[in-house]
Amino acid sequence: MSCRNNIGHILIRLITSLFLLVSSNVNANVMNNPDKVNDKIEAMIVDVGVLATRGVLEAKQRWQPTLIWLQEQIPNSEFRLHPYTLAEMETAVQQQRVDILVTNPGQAVRLGRQYPLSWLATLNSQLGDGTHVIGSALIVRADSHYQHLVDVSGDKIAAVASNAFGGYLTMLLAVQNQGINPTAFFSDVSFLGFPVDAIIYQLRDGYFDAAVVPVCQLESMLEEGLIVESAFRVLNNISPSDFTCAVSTRLYPNWSIAKTTAISATLAKKITRALFALPANHPASIAAHSTGWIPPISQLSVDQLYRDLDIHPLQRPLWQEAVVWIKKNQQWAWVVFLFVLLLSVYHLILEYRFSRSERVLKATLNRLKEKNAMLEHAQRVAIVGELGSSLAHEINQPLTAILNYSQGGLLRIKKGAATTDIVPVLEKIQQQVKRADDIVQRLRTLINKRTVAKSSCDIETLISDTLELVEYDFHQKNITVNRVCLGNTVILNADIVGLQQALLNILNNAADACLMRKLPQSIDNEIKIKSQYTADKLTLTLTDNGVGLTAANAELQNAFFTTKKDGLGLGLAICRDVIDAHHGQFTLTPADPVGCCVTITLPLTHTV
Amino acid sequence: MNKTIEKSFISVPTYVVDDDESVRDSLAFMLDSYDLNVTTYTGGQVFLDNADIMQPGCVILDSRMPELRGQDVHAILSRCHSPLSIIYLTGHGDISMAVHALKSGAVDFFQKPVDGEKLVQAISIAAKKSIQRSEQLKALLSYQSLTDRERAILLLLIKGKRNQQIADDLCIAVRTVEVHRSSLMKKFNAKTIAELVLQYGMVVN
Repeated sequence: MSCRNNIGHILIRLITSLFLLVSSNVNANVMNNPDKVNDKIEAMIVDVGVLATRGVLEAKQRWQPTLIWLQEQIPNSEFRLHPYTLAEMETAVQQQRVDILVTNPGQAVRLGRQYPLSWLATLNSQLGDGTHVIGSALIVRADSHYQHLVDVSGDKIAAVASNAFGGYLTMLLAVQNQGINPTAFFSDVSFLGFPVDAIIYQLRDGYFDAAVVPVCQLESMLEEGLIVESAFRVLNNISPSDFTCAVSTRLYPNWSIAKTTAISATLAKKITRALFALPANHPASIAAHSTGWIPPISQLSVDQLYRDLDIHPLQRPLWQEAVVWIKKNQQWAWVVFLFVLLLSVYHLILEYRFSRSERVLKATLNRLKEKNAMLEHAQRVAIVGELGSSLAHEINQPLTAILNYSQGGLLRIKKGAATTDIVPVLEKIQQQVKRADDIVQRLRTLINKRTVAKSSCDIETLISDTLELVEYDFHQKNITVNRVCLGNTVILNADIVGLQQALLNILNNAADACLMRKLPQSIDNEIKIKSQYTADKLTLTLTDNGVGLTAANAELQNAFFTTKKDGLGLGLAICRDVIDAHHGQFTLTPADPVGCCVTITLPLTHTV
Repeated sequence: MNKTIEKSFISVPTYVVDDDESVRDSLAFMLDSYDLNVTTYTGGQVFLDNADIMQPGCVILDSRMPELRGQDVHAILSRCHSPLSIIYLTGHGDISMAVHALKSGAVDFFQKPVDGEKLVQAISIAAKKSIQRSEQLKALLSYQSLTDRERAILLLLIKGKRNQQIADDLCIAVRTVEVHRSSLMKKFNAKTIAELVLQYGMVVN
């Protein structure tokens, strides 16, 4: 839980010792100014606050004799006993309603580190070494299955209070030091407060599985006959050999008596002398379960506990510690800051370089796409060229023969040959026609028209994809494309590849037309695409403002007719074929004022 | 346009070389209608092996044929100094092929299908050229077979000198001149000096 760095630890120690120095300094200062008024005339009233761990009555029984002793030893004094709970004690100190306090070391240290208290003496106990007698015992019912501390983890545990020293905090530290997760261990803890007796009773009656009580609580109650010994067990009993009580934790300093600033140095000296003078066998000592008083012993172990639990009153919250540390080590802070700054700058540089290479990549990708398109086109052209030339050559042979036969035949007729002589010539001609037909058939199977596969097709996506293909090229040619979509989009069952081919052909024709237009140059090249969905059909209109239609409609759609220098003249024929396969219509009309409008209608009935 | 073909050229054979049967057959049929003497061959090698390529005639060559291409046949004929006239008749051809063919000495270049009239006109021209060429070749051969002495005498004869003058010029006996003269006339197959001069003229061109 506590992960203090060495610097923080040293800081704490520094400040603790500093504080002790200061408080003793204050003491010295006070001693230089003896308060004569309180000494002489009136009876001094001293309010003594005591921690009543076992209740008001028991507190009075325990401490009243000691106060009486003090009153006997110090003339003109009156010591008033005020039994408090932990909270009441703290409030009393804060409101300066007590002059002397007698409390356990836990609270003593807590209060001592927040308010100006000075210790006068420590109680000397009958047990152990006399001075270290405070701790916790983890008690369970004798018949329960618990054997070790860790067994109790998470079960119902009763404790005194979250800020009780012997009744919780020492146990908490012990659990932590054993490597058990304290939060898990005390996940089901209930704080029952004073009197501590009640906790034992509740454990006995089964309301809890285990109880954390101050050490010797159990033994005291046994002695007083309040409980049966055999009913309870103490877990993790690490009590030293000379210590008669069972204890589950290490032992901490005994209760102490402290004075506030309300007590003068003179009075303090008297009180202290009286306390030290109290004999070990005096009824007051016995009532207080002690053998008298000794000079105050070191509370360091308590400080350490609070530190280890991360709850020392003087410890700063983590962020404050960090700020102090940073202020102390400014140069490192600056180094870190500079480093972070440099990293950010580097990151920005990388981002810039990345975006630049991204742009270059995109440009390269576009060029590649362009080259790819060109290659495919060249390939197609080559194939068509090859097909064409082969066809031309093959067909030429029978055509030549037919011409020769017919010319020869005519000539012979003119020379007066008989009809019967001509018959074989005509038959030969027919044979040649058949031969030509065979060639055409062969070529037809060779060309092997693509099997049309229809599937679900979203025309809008198709148009977008096709536009993407020509995007770069159109951008180079300064052609803008405007799209409009009317009506509700419907998914068609269509030949996607074919339709895309047709669209590409039309778009390329439109682009070429725009480029061929000579004047006026001021018109921006524009292609408008409108897709209109009605109940029964889709009408796709592609309009360009190019050079327009220069040939008759019928001639246009013949194969191998082209107005372009390098054209094959097959584009429109392909379009026609594709649209026909969808039982649609394909028309070309002039656009106003210049250009051409291609209208494609596709039926939307699902019988297609 | 119907031109009458002179009968004298019919005697010159016309050869059709094409690997396509129907083309061969139909061409033969058509040309026959013009009363031409046609022989067909299935390929270049067959033609070279079987036709008399040193006699005047006209060859109608296809370009694309298996084994020997038309151009190859043409080259062989040129190498052999054949008097035959070449006319290309091809199913596919381009400008460069045509130019190359004509530069190599072909008389004409046609693409299939060809108009019969035009082809026959070309054959007529080609036949004439072939006969001319043949005679030229003959004269050249004759000239090459002359001895030095005969050549010297020929030169003087062309100038119109008489035997005596030649004998004097060459410092030989008249009798010798007479012998050489008769020999060279025989070689040139010339009966008169005029014919000799004509033939010599062909050699010189």
